[in-house]
Amino acid sequence: MTSPDLYHEGLLRLARSENRAPRLARPDGQATLDNPLCGDQVTFEVEVRDGRIAALARRVRGCVLCEASAALLGRAALGASAGELAEARACALAMLRGEAAAPGGAFQELAFFTPAREVPSRHRCVLLPFEALEEAVAQAGR
Amino acid sequence: MKSESLATLLEAVRAKRTVVLATPLATGEGYLVEPFGDRGAVEAEVHRAAAEAAASDRSGLVDTLAGKVFLRVFNPPVSVVIVGAVHIAQALAPMVRLAGYDVVVVDPRRAFAAEERFPGVPLLTEWPDEALGKIGLGRRSAVVTMTHDPKIDDPALAAALRSEAFYVGALGSKKTQAARRERLAGLGFTDGDLSRIHGPVGLSIGASSTGEIAVAILSQLVGCLRQPSGPRTGA
Repeated sequence: MTSPDLYHEGLLRLARSENRAPRLARPDGQATLDNPLCGDQVTFEVEVRDGRIAALARRVRGCVLCEASAALLGRAALGASAGELAEARACALAMLRGEAAAPGGAFQELAFFTPAREVPSRHRCVLLPFEALEEAVAQAGR
Repeated sequence: MKSESLATLLEAVRAKRTVVLATPLATGEGYLVEPFGDRGAVEAEVHRAAAEAAASDRSGLVDTLAGKVFLRVFNPPVSVVIVGAVHIAQALAPMVRLAGYDVVVVDPRRAFAAEERFPGVPLLTEWPDEALGKIGLGRRSAVVTMTHDPKIDDPALAAALRSEAFYVGALGSKKTQAARRERLAGLGFTDGDLSRIHGPVGLSIGASSTGEIAVAILSQLVGCLRQPSGPRTGA
């Protein structure tokens, strides 16, 4: 696996996609998680209405995989419930492990991460934003 | 020294700003000079001499048209920021302290920037641009990057180049340095800016072991501090 395979154009575009709102004025919940081995750091802020994400904002300090995964969530997780997020994370994990294909629907851009299957040490980079968002939603429920 | 001078001096020390106490021998009445700041009512001659004394970190007597003046330099401590809590940093940090300088290690990778790996050394686990903003870089600061990870090293180097740091070093091979220069140039840094980066880092003394590489880096840093116009041999 070479870098161009892993960091293909679609993934780079996703990673660099515009982050219009890095902060929310009045978030119901927020969480910052980091990976102590590589320093990647993801913060999500969420507003939750009727058990679904009504607004979300992200701030990422990390590698391209981490940025892309957070950007994907910034788009795809709007309107999702905690249960749907958990399901999406399970889909991502299964896809990275090669146990399932990328899902259709809101999270179909997970397919961009298919080349990361070959690099198990980078799976955390993709999953960290999922965990941070789930934690932010959990915080909102407390 | 007048009490308002003492108050200014204490404030400058806290703010890590260089000040020079100028005492004409004829009167014995000292006054403070901001050698790198506004000259104010200070004689141009004294201001210039104070800047030279501060830059060379040497107090002493100077002859002026108005007679002999003793210049007492109050420089903030030299502060070395090591970015990357790696193996070489473990050797370099205590050496920096033995040389008499302040040291701080920055690494957002908490697994590396751990107390048990750096007993007694101040550690910051923010990202380097945030950490360096908090530390505050000045003309008595040195920054050495060691992570080999561009996402961590580059922001640190960018912050260092935007400051007056007297020493900027980056661990990495010649090939790595070329790629790094290209990335930093993309951020708008000029060749002149980039020439401030010592990389490959350290004096060329054939350093091979971790400790030897730390010696080579510290030696180069001392050279830049004490002989700013002297030889600066790369590796």
